[in-house]
Amino acid sequence: MAQIPPQTLHRDPQLFYWILIPITIVMVLTGVLRHYASVLMATTPKKADIKAIREQRALAHGAALRTNYHVLSRKSFETRRDFLIEGFESGAYLKAPNQKGQPPANPMTDPNAMEGMMGMMKNNMAMIIPNTLIMSWINAFFSGYVIMKLPFPITIKFKSMLQAGVQTKDMDPRWMSSISWYFLCIFGLQFVYVFLLGSDNAASQIAQQMQAQQMPVGPMAPGQDPSKMFKAEAENLAVIEHYSVLDGIEERLLERIKV
Amino acid sequence: MPPLLLRPHASLSHAEALQVAQQAPEFLRKNPASYSASPLFSLFSPPESSKTWTIYENLLLACLRTGDYTTAHQCLERLVIRFGGNDERIQALKGLVKEAEATDNSELEQVLKEYEAILANDNTNVPISKRRIALLRAMGRTAEASEALVQFLDFATTDAEAWIELSDLYLSQGLYAQAIYAQEEALVIAPNAWNLHARLGEMLFMAAESGSDGHPQAYLAESLKRFCRSIELCDDYLRGYYGLKRVTDKLLDKDSKQKKPSDSDEVTLPETSTIEQLNLAATKKLGDIVRKYDAKDPLWQGYDSGEVAAARACLSETSQNMVR
Repeated sequence: MAQIPPQTLHRDPQLFYWILIPITIVMVLTGVLRHYASVLMATTPKKADIKAIREQRALAHGAALRTNYHVLSRKSFETRRDFLIEGFESGAYLKAPNQKGQPPANPMTDPNAMEGMMGMMKNNMAMIIPNTLIMSWINAFFSGYVIMKLPFPITIKFKSMLQAGVQTKDMDPRWMSSISWYFLCIFGLQFVYVFLLGSDNAASQIAQQMQAQQMPVGPMAPGQDPSKMFKAEAENLAVIEHYSVLDGIEERLLERIKV
Repeated sequence: MPPLLLRPHASLSHAEALQVAQQAPEFLRKNPASYSASPLFSLFSPPESSKTWTIYENLLLACLRTGDYTTAHQCLERLVIRFGGNDERIQALKGLVKEAEATDNSELEQVLKEYEAILANDNTNVPISKRRIALLRAMGRTAEASEALVQFLDFATTDAEAWIELSDLYLSQGLYAQAIYAQEEALVIAPNAWNLHARLGEMLFMAAESGSDGHPQAYLAESLKRFCRSIELCDDYLRGYYGLKRVTDKLLDKDSKQKKPSDSDEVTLPETSTIEQLNLAATKKLGDIVRKYDAKDPLWQGYDSGEVAAARACLSETSQNMVR
């Protein structure tokens, strides 16, 4: 059986020093720069207004009563229920009682929501701009040839990933082009950033994407009408069939401690 | 149980607080004054964790309690370096140090004014609001304190700590119905806290004892139920059993004197036989606890010595009655 002779390409060793290392260094430095840029641009989260907090807590209070009503005796539960239902329905806890019934404000015109969006925009910009710049830099100077050979064999599927920008059909996938090295750097430098900047850095893009996906959804999702939420909570409270853990507790306890 | 340094400071006894305060200088020496974000420093200095800062806070409180103000200032300084002087919690701690160092009422007034200035700027500052209320109460201005607390609870309705404080405040003024209401609110937020159940039972019992309201029977019945619930939630809970014993004693005593059916009330008393059985069980359990505590059984040493002494006194009272 004829062995396929290993492909040999003669590369200038200078490629290693003048392409591989510069790309890596530039990538690391951009990450660090991006971290500090985002630290500088970050706006402190705006403090919630006392009325907004009151609205939220009142709703949470209703929910707490709805789930834990069983610790109360019937009489004290009914007092609280009537009080809360009245407050909820009359809109006494609303942030802006006179806006009751109006459609929720358009998030585009709401300055509070706008600020949040600006923050997101800034982060995205801080990610997109340097990436575009570096990629066009690499494309302009280093595209069209391979720069290194991986020290381990690799299957043919990796060809498109590792040899982006090199149109050679039969070349061993172990050869790697500069643009692929750039992509590897994007995904592989996360731990370098963690070491350099601490675990909550803003340099790594993957971490940022994860963050964007799991945006916390507060109890008050924007665009929801709080007065409707209060109405719904009042209804939930009104239909509770009361029982108490205190009913018949003496017998229950006796049985338990007798055994 | 977490190590002494990490336990919430309010739960420590005087001796333990002293022990904590004595560890402070050593802890300050061992840890760097400030943490750097740079990787080179983090290689050489001990790692920073959230526990470190809990410990600093506990040390600060313990030092204030034991009167070691210089060490307290050092702790505070490090907290300020780390979190900045404008952090809400740090502001409250700073105020606390000033309160502790104040020697007379006028200085306390000064601190109070500072709190009010902060609150005028930012009325959602929870730690400072709480400090202001605590300071008002400490200065003996109970009415103002309860008013401030009610205002605070109007926007922070889910703050169990504040409800408990309000309840305690009302109780100290003898307003039992209000105290009970506030305590129930705290229970709605933390439904399985046996200590809150037992505390509510104690309040109900006190309300029945005072007899200011028309329904001591109803109070007693609910108090009995609360104590039962606290025992159900926590086996061998001394306060629960103690309260159960007291309340059943009272009920049995009453029953023998006046057999008055009170069906109009919604909370109904159980059968007298049940009450007797509960009384017996409570007496037995209290006896067990006291005996094992006195015998230095290592598994039964977690009780507060004052509470055990109270249980002992209660038991000896009962046995005297029996002899008579």
